[in-house]
Amino acid sequence: MKTLFGILRDHFIWKHQIFKLAKSDIIKTYSGTAFGWGWALVKPTVTIVVFWFVLTVGFRAGATASGDPYILWLIAGLIPWFYMDEMITGGTSAYLTYSYLITKMKFPVSTITTFIGISKLIVHLFLMIIVLIIFAVYGYYPDIYLLQLPLYMALMFIFFSNWALFAAMLSAISKDFMNFVVSFVTAVFWLSGILFDVRMINTPWIRTVLMFNPVTFCAEGYRDVFLYKVWIWEEPVKLLTFSCTFVVMVILAVWSYKKLYKEIPDVL
Amino acid sequence: MGGCRRDRQGETAEPDRERKDAVGRNMESTDRKTAIEFRNVTKTYKLYRSDKLRLLSVFWKGVKHTEKRAVDNVSFSVRQGESLAFIGRNGAGKSTILKMITGVAFPTEGDIVVEGRVSALLELTAGFDEEMSGRDNIYLKGQLMGLKDKEIERREEEIVAFAELGEYIDQPVRTYSSGMRAKLGFAVNVCIEPEVFIVDEALSVGDKVFQAKCLEKVNALIEKDNVTLIFVTHSIDVAKKFCKRGIVLKEGRMVCDTDIEQAAAYYEQHMADN
Repeated sequence: MKTLFGILRDHFIWKHQIFKLAKSDIIKTYSGTAFGWGWALVKPTVTIVVFWFVLTVGFRAGATASGDPYILWLIAGLIPWFYMDEMITGGTSAYLTYSYLITKMKFPVSTITTFIGISKLIVHLFLMIIVLIIFAVYGYYPDIYLLQLPLYMALMFIFFSNWALFAAMLSAISKDFMNFVVSFVTAVFWLSGILFDVRMINTPWIRTVLMFNPVTFCAEGYRDVFLYKVWIWEEPVKLLTFSCTFVVMVILAVWSYKKLYKEIPDVL
Repeated sequence: MGGCRRDRQGETAEPDRERKDAVGRNMESTDRKTAIEFRNVTKTYKLYRSDKLRLLSVFWKGVKHTEKRAVDNVSFSVRQGESLAFIGRNGAGKSTILKMITGVAFPTEGDIVVEGRVSALLELTAGFDEEMSGRDNIYLKGQLMGLKDKEIERREEEIVAFAELGEYIDQPVRTYSSGMRAKLGFAVNVCIEPEVFIVDEALSVGDKVFQAKCLEKVNALIEKDNVTLIFVTHSIDVAKKFCKRGIVLKEGRMVCDTDIEQAAAYYEQHMADN
């Protein structure tokens, strides 16, 4: 508990620096390329188009449970996944990317994954605006359910910031952990309810297991907002399972921080 | 070891002419605040045979490892405005102590108190973001040191001029040579007006002209009376030039804490030759 407050206090004291670093993290990712900001758009667009092509033309899966256009269903699930993907892999390598902040100057280690998270979130918000435009073009105008979007974003941001803190700590100690994460991120993608509708699975226990998956929760949450028009409290089981994983993640993050933060500068 | 201690006591009772300057400085600074305080600080590094075992050790305490004591029960305190050199052979624990003062390494046991803005050149680099340009790094570094953008703007020209990088200042740092990095690192660290200035062998890079310029700058910095200088070098002569006080380290232990002339003599006599 004390460690958690320590982490929060570091964030408060260094808040200006955190935002500056988030800004420079974005600038660094996209500047120095001739196409600049365009790349933030190209990668998701290519992925969405490829999946749409493969799944509708290749697998003829072009139907959703709710009868909405398949492309919209795909977008609503894939856009949050891009953020989660960046956090799962990018968060894991955070301390290796920003080792100079750890070994060369006094800087609170716990905030590194946070500013990376903020930087990715800003790109995510930028994509979200485009998503809203696409939905509007299809005749899905913003409605009252959009109020839930910031909530899902916040939950996703906090959850994956905690994940990143945990994963960055472990992967700084050993590259084995990073390889482990990189190997399994594809599996996480395919086993989460991003490309298929979890509700359509007939085996109840698989459905339950998948509900514990926070990636599924976030992707489903976005679809609730854009397509299914469901409030977060209308599915209490889902909310409860996510809350459990959420708490476990926070505990893991704080535990790993407490155990390892003194050791990190020595091993990087 | 005991001899060194005895010498020191003798001297405080009866300071010779050469020491007057240092003593005078010490006397006038008795009312000054403590800048750095080490209380029984010990730092042990855990060494594992492989990264795999290190990862295992996170979950299971019984993993076999050896411990290396880099710093062993070190206590000292430095007042504001003092200039102190750490002398010792490779592996004596000098860099580890500097890292702990900077705050990038944590003691295994003991307490460390450091007051004021610490500016450090550790292992020749100042910690730059490889992908960003030199100029952006100046801003980033300044912001991380707690300066406002306006304050950095004011110093920008000075830093750029001091670093002598010309056109390269707007190129990414990854394209810099090691000499250029050191120059920029020194320029940034010295121009942000540190209160505690830590130099780890950094003056041994760059050409002679730049070195001279650095020495001059360090001198100017310590003239200002509240800047504390902590210095690590293999070159005793450079240390003598800047520092009034010297601490000799041997295998992580403090063997001598006295004025620089004595410390240098002790080092040369006891350790340099074996």
